[in-house]
Amino acid sequence: MPTAAPRVLVADDEDDIRALVGLAVRRAGCTVATEAADGTQALAAARTDPPDLAVLDVSMPGASGLEVCAALRADPATAGVPVLLLSAGASTDDVARGLAAGADAYLAKPFSVAGLVARVRELTSGVTA
Amino acid sequence: MTVLGPAPAEELTRLRAENAALRARMQHRDDELEVATRMLQARARTMTSVIDAVTEQSIIGTDVAGVIRVWNPGAERMLGLPRAAVVRRRSITDFHLPEELEDAGGGLAGLVRTAQEQGSDVRDWTYVAADGAELTVSVAVTPRTDDRGVHAGWNFVGTDMTEARATERMKDQFVSLISHELRTPLTSILGYLELVLDDPELGAEARAHLGTVERNAQRLLRLVGDLLFTAQVDAGRFSLQPADVDLAGVVRAAEETVRVTAAATGVEVVVDVPDGGLVVHGDAVRLGQACDNLVSNAVKFTPAGGRVTLALRSAWRTADGAVVEASRDDAVPVARLAVSDTGIGIPAGEQGQLFARFFRASTARRHAVPGVRLGLAITRAIAAAHDGTLEVASVEGRGTTSTLTLPL
Repeated sequence: MPTAAPRVLVADDEDDIRALVGLAVRRAGCTVATEAADGTQALAAARTDPPDLAVLDVSMPGASGLEVCAALRADPATAGVPVLLLSAGASTDDVARGLAAGADAYLAKPFSVAGLVARVRELTSGVTA
Repeated sequence: MTVLGPAPAEELTRLRAENAALRARMQHRDDELEVATRMLQARARTMTSVIDAVTEQSIIGTDVAGVIRVWNPGAERMLGLPRAAVVRRRSITDFHLPEELEDAGGGLAGLVRTAQEQGSDVRDWTYVAADGAELTVSVAVTPRTDDRGVHAGWNFVGTDMTEARATERMKDQFVSLISHELRTPLTSILGYLELVLDDPELGAEARAHLGTVERNAQRLLRLVGDLLFTAQVDAGRFSLQPADVDLAGVVRAAEETVRVTAAATGVEVVVDVPDGGLVVHGDAVRLGQACDNLVSNAVKFTPAGGRVTLALRSAWRTADGAVVEASRDDAVPVARLAVSDTGIGIPAGEQGQLFARFFRASTARRHAVPGVRLGLAITRAIAAAHDGTLEVASVEGRGTTSTLTLPL
């Protein structure tokens, strides 16, 4: 079993929000493996070096978080990576689309940092246990 | 012996008279015919002038094979070709996108199929103008018959919807822009604020200032949500997540939400709900929003020393919409929430505008009561989506009662 802190991929095109998510990831006892500013970068990084969790913004240039999530699920090498989607669209349809793409959890923006920390802990709990 | 008729001279006179009468009758018929012809011509001219006066709609008539026979100035303007270049020379299908006709079953048959089956058809088609421009046109297709009632061709009356459809798309895009572009900076503001407020070293004064910042950021977020929701209601794109909801719990939660504000402004809030609760089938989040809106409005518009009462009861709604306390055979059971206040009220003359978006009563302006002014419009939309109603009764200077009625 790996004893190192779980490694998290953080993808969001907004620098400030990427930094905020990174902070929450570290508060949850994880490390930020890669920061990606668009979907294409995020997918490439996840394929090269599958993380223990991917936190993806839904609305990103390149490929959307939903597309990245679906691509991760379709590839056997990354199919098991838990995915947490963040979206500024808060309607129930958005949640349904996110879950249909295979996401494990969905948080609407604006999210509470404490809430995000809790979800990151929950989704990486299998890694350090 | 031959029997002779009248004398030749008499006979001649009679014949002349008959002839004159015949001529007179013929002249009369001629006159009648001329009048009828003139009337027909006048009617034809009226028809043509009406069709020609239509410049914003294209009116195109074809024979049964789709060859164009009528082409009004509206068609000239929309499609960029004069009548002489089109009538008897071109087919209606020349002005359609081939792939659209193909999808509908191909050619003229595809274009008129629904009109043939149902007598008429209105839908959006893409017209291709002489310069190649593509227009989104709402086209009404009807069959045309001749004077003996025999099918003689087709009429196509088109309204250019290109701009209207583009506006609808722009509105949709604007709504998602609001959602994304305003929520994104709010995410940063609220997220970093949370981090700063988490710091136990933060001084009391700074904490109070940042609390104000946070309250206002939350207010901005609510406004974004309300605008978004209003746009969804307009577009008919708002959906409910129905479940069993205890309205008594919803009312208590609404009271908790306003408790601090009410205490600060000296308004007493009285909750009067059935002990056993009252369960309706609806969307818990939306019903909570509706209830919060009514309660926060009541508190906001009630001066210090006043009282707000939240009374929840089961009742009966009759077919004519009246709500009564006692059970009746012709009535359906409903839940009724009455939110009454002893506030500033709304002048009688303004009560009709209450549900208009951004409406503000003059009493609210005079008392400088702040507000987003979307609350009642949103609450009524939520009530309607639940097959319920929202009614407001008010007396200026005495208070207001908002009554939300939902089927049980």
